[in-house]
Amino acid sequence: MILSDLLDLPVQDPTGRRLGFCIDARLVLDAPAGAGPLAGARLHGLVVSPRTRTSFMGYERSGVRRPWPLGALLERRHAGTFLVLWEDVVGVERERILVAGNAVRYDARLRG
Amino acid sequence: MTRDERLPRPPTPAGRVLDARLHLLSRQVLDADDMPLTTVDDLELRSTDDGPDRAPAADGGITGARVYTVTALLSGAALATRVLGGRAPASRWLRIDWGRVSDVGTVVRIAGTGDDLDATWTERWVRDRIIRRIPGGDHDPQ
Repeated sequence: MILSDLLDLPVQDPTGRRLGFCIDARLVLDAPAGAGPLAGARLHGLVVSPRTRTSFMGYERSGVRRPWPLGALLERRHAGTFLVLWEDVVGVERERILVAGNAVRYDARLRG
Repeated sequence: MTRDERLPRPPTPAGRVLDARLHLLSRQVLDADDMPLTTVDDLELRSTDDGPDRAPAADGGITGARVYTVTALLSGAALATRVLGGRAPASRWLRIDWGRVSDVGTVVRIAGTGDDLDATWTERWVRDRIIRRIPGGDHDPQ
């Protein structure tokens, strides 16, 4: 698959309840490197925003709060954004991504 | 800007964390000589269960039960599909194997030069078929 198969798709639980939209895919460089100089990039999870399919420069995943009007607007727009681990994804269909009913919603903010 | 402090922190992975859209898409790709090659328009992800033609595994499709890794940066057929929708066929993408990526920062760097990449074929074609035939065009300026 390609990344575009995941981005912007609605994310639903098994009952069909919409949890949000996939706004990004989180990768971790911890897979076997192969012949390359950089470690392999493993798909670790999906960043899900409840209201919007887009993300403005990752504001909702950073500690940036300035300028205040922009920060307040984006905080409201992206409130409730969460990370769901890839292992909790039940299936990726053409029109939606299904996650397990007991999938844990993790804090999506990036560290450091 | 998620201020919902009730959400637990995810398990801390062992490696560096990248968000694909935030840290990779639309980034410029440079070779070891700092020559710009292309931009990252998409990523190819594969699981070890996928078929050789990059089709998803037949049994069960794409699920979290399979480990997916990035196998290539994709460049090329993005503009038309972004405007008009749909998806370009795999044959239209120009691939740069992830194994050639040496660093991800404000730009994406690859090891070695980009002379052998599909992503630079138009530049090579213009150089060899057009520029080289112009008198004085086959050598550096004196």
